[in-house]
Amino acid sequence: MNVSLWQGIKRMFCKEFVLGLRFKAAWAAMFMFALTTLACVSLALQGGQMEPRLAAALLWVIVFFASMAGADRGFADEDTAGTLLILKLYGGAQPVLLGKMLYSFFLLLVLAVFIVLLFLVLIGVEPVFWGVFILTLVFGVAGIAAAGTLLAALATGARVKNGLFSVLMLPVILPVFLPAVYLTAGALGGSDTALNYLGGMALYDGLLIVGASVLFDYLWYED
Amino acid sequence: MVKINFRAVEQRFYGRQIFGPLDCTLSGGRIMAVTGKNGSGKSTFLKLAGHLLPPSQGKITVVSDGRELRGEELRRHLAMVTPEMRFYDRLTARENMDFLLGMRGITLDNAVYGELLGRVGLDEQAVCHSYAGDFSTGMKQRLKMAVLLAARADIWLLDEPGANLDEAGRQMTAREVRAAADKGVLVVLATNEPGEEALADERIALAGH
Amino acid sequence: MGAVLGGLTLIIAGLVFFVVPPAEGLGDYVRIAFFHIPVAWVAVIAFFISAWQGARYLRSGDMLADAKSAAASQLGFIFVILATVSGAIFSKLTWGAYWNWDPRQTTIFVLLLIYGAYLTLRAAMPAGVKRAKTAAVYALFSFLTVPFLVFIIPRMYFSLHPSPVINGSGLAMDSVMLAVLLAALMDMTGIFYWLYKKQVMRIMQEER
Repeated sequence: MNVSLWQGIKRMFCKEFVLGLRFKAAWAAMFMFALTTLACVSLALQGGQMEPRLAAALLWVIVFFASMAGADRGFADEDTAGTLLILKLYGGAQPVLLGKMLYSFFLLLVLAVFIVLLFLVLIGVEPVFWGVFILTLVFGVAGIAAAGTLLAALATGARVKNGLFSVLMLPVILPVFLPAVYLTAGALGGSDTALNYLGGMALYDGLLIVGASVLFDYLWYED
Repeated sequence: MVKINFRAVEQRFYGRQIFGPLDCTLSGGRIMAVTGKNGSGKSTFLKLAGHLLPPSQGKITVVSDGRELRGEELRRHLAMVTPEMRFYDRLTARENMDFLLGMRGITLDNAVYGELLGRVGLDEQAVCHSYAGDFSTGMKQRLKMAVLLAARADIWLLDEPGANLDEAGRQMTAREVRAAADKGVLVVLATNEPGEEALADERIALAGH
Repeated sequence: MGAVLGGLTLIIAGLVFFVVPPAEGLGDYVRIAFFHIPVAWVAVIAFFISAWQGARYLRSGDMLADAKSAAASQLGFIFVILATVSGAIFSKLTWGAYWNWDPRQTTIFVLLLIYGAYLTLRAAMPAGVKRAKTAAVYALFSFLTVPFLVFIIPRMYFSLHPSPVINGSGLAMDSVMLAVLLAALMDMTGIFYWLYKKQVMRIMQEER
C-alpha cells in the first residue's frame, strides 16, 4: 500500500481516537443506548426460552440500531463542530474516508462485543459454533462501518437530518443484515449453516468499501 | 507560477443572484483584493477560486506551470484563513497543527515550531498545553495564520485576515502577506478594511445585487 | 404519443379481459399479472436508468443527467408501489396471504426502500449542484445491492417458499397469453418513457 496513504489513514484514525477519548459523552450515549435496548428486550421476555432464529434476529436488530447512533459520528460531529471545511482543506479524500471508516469499525466492534456479551448473559443463549458467530459479527460490523461512513458524509449536506441517516442506511445494509441473522441463527442453534454466506458477506463488505472509496472523491472535491 | 481564471462565472443561492457574470485572472506573486459590501459574495468568491464550491454558471480554471490543477492536486496548493474555519476544540493547538499539516505530509520539528509561533506572535506554552477551544478569537486567528504559513501552499485565500487582531497582529498579517506575494504566492484577500486593501496590487469590487 | 399509448392500452385491456383464457389453477386472477409484471419490470428499469444517469452526472456535471436520474426515481417509486400493491393482491387471492417474503417480494421491497431513501434525500436538500451530486452518489451506492438482490436473496429464501407461480416453469403459458404479455410489457415501457420525458422537462423548468 502507498506509504503516505497509510500514514494519512493512521493520522486520521488517531485524531478520531483522541477526540473520542476526550469527549466521552458520545461513547457513553452509545453504550447506554445499547444497554437500555438490551434491558428492554430482556425484561420483556422475562427469561423465556428463545428460538435461535428469533434470538439472532433480536441480536442483530439491537446491534443495527445501536450502531445507527454511532456510525454517523465520523462526519456528523465534524459538521456540527464546523470543522468540515478545515478538514476538507488539509485532508485528502482517501485518508479521511478510510481513516474514519477504520475508526468507525473499531468503535462499532467494541460496541458489538459489549452488546453480544450482555445479550448472551441476559438472554441465556450460547453459540454452538463460536467461529462462525464471531466472523459473522466482524463482517456485519465491517459492512455497517463501510456504508455508514460514506452515508454519514452524504447526510451532512441535508437540511433535515433526523432519521435521514437510518433511512439511507437500511436498504444498503440489508445485504449484510439478512445473511448475518441467518448465520447467527445457525451458529446459535447448531444447525449446519451455509458457510458461503460468510463469503458473500465478506464480498459485499469489499464492494461497499471500494464503492465508498470511489464515490467519496466526488463528494470531497467539487470539480 | 499559478494562475486562476474566472470565465463568465455566476453564482446563485436558492435562486438569488449573488454576482456575475464575472471574468478575471488572478496570478501568482500578486495580491488581489476582493471588496464589496456584506452579502456581495466576497467569501463565495474565495471558495470559488479554490474549487471549494462549484459555480452555478461558468468555469474557473487553476493553472500551474501550464498544467491545470484539479481535485486533490489543487487542494495541496491551497491554504486558507476564513472566519468559517474552525479548529478541533478538544485538541491542543499543537495537536491541531500536527494533524492538519500531517494530513498534507508535512512534519515540523520543535525548532521550526518555535520560529513559526514567534512569527505569528503566539506563546509556545499556550500552544502546547491548552485546547484550541480555550483560545481567544485573536489567538485562534493567529493560529490560523500559523497553519497557513506552515502549509507551504502557493495559493492563499484570505477572508478578513485582520479580523479580531490587535494592531500588532494586523501588522504581522500585512507583513506576511507581502512577503508571501514577493515569493510568488497568489494571494486573494477579501476585505473591507482600508489598511488591508492598501496592500493589494489589484482590486475587484463586487457590486452585489 | 399519449394518444397512441392510450389506444394501445385500451386494446391490451380488452385482450386481457376478453381474449386471454383463465389459467388453470389461477382462474381469472391471472389477469392481474398482465398489469403486475409490466409494472414491476418498469420499476426495475427505472432503477437502472436512475443509477446510469447518476453516473453520467458525476462524470459530466450536466444538470440534465441529474434531472433524468431524479425523474426515473420518482416514476420508479410510483411503479414500485403499484407493483407491490398489485402483487400483494394477487398473492392474497392465490396463496391466501398478502405478504410472505418470497424472493421477488423481498427484492421489490428493497427497491421500494431505496427509491424512498433516494427521494427523501433529495427532498432534504436545496436544489443545486450539491444535491445533484449527493443524489447521484446515493443512486450509485445503493446500486451495489443489485448482485445481492439477484444472486443471494433467491437462494436464501428458496427453501422457505415454493417457487413463484409465474416464472415460466410453474405456469405453462399458451401463445396467446405470451403475446398479450409481451404487448403489455411494451405498452407499459412506452407509458413510462412518455411520462419520463415529461417529468424530465418539468424538473428542468423548475430548476431554471
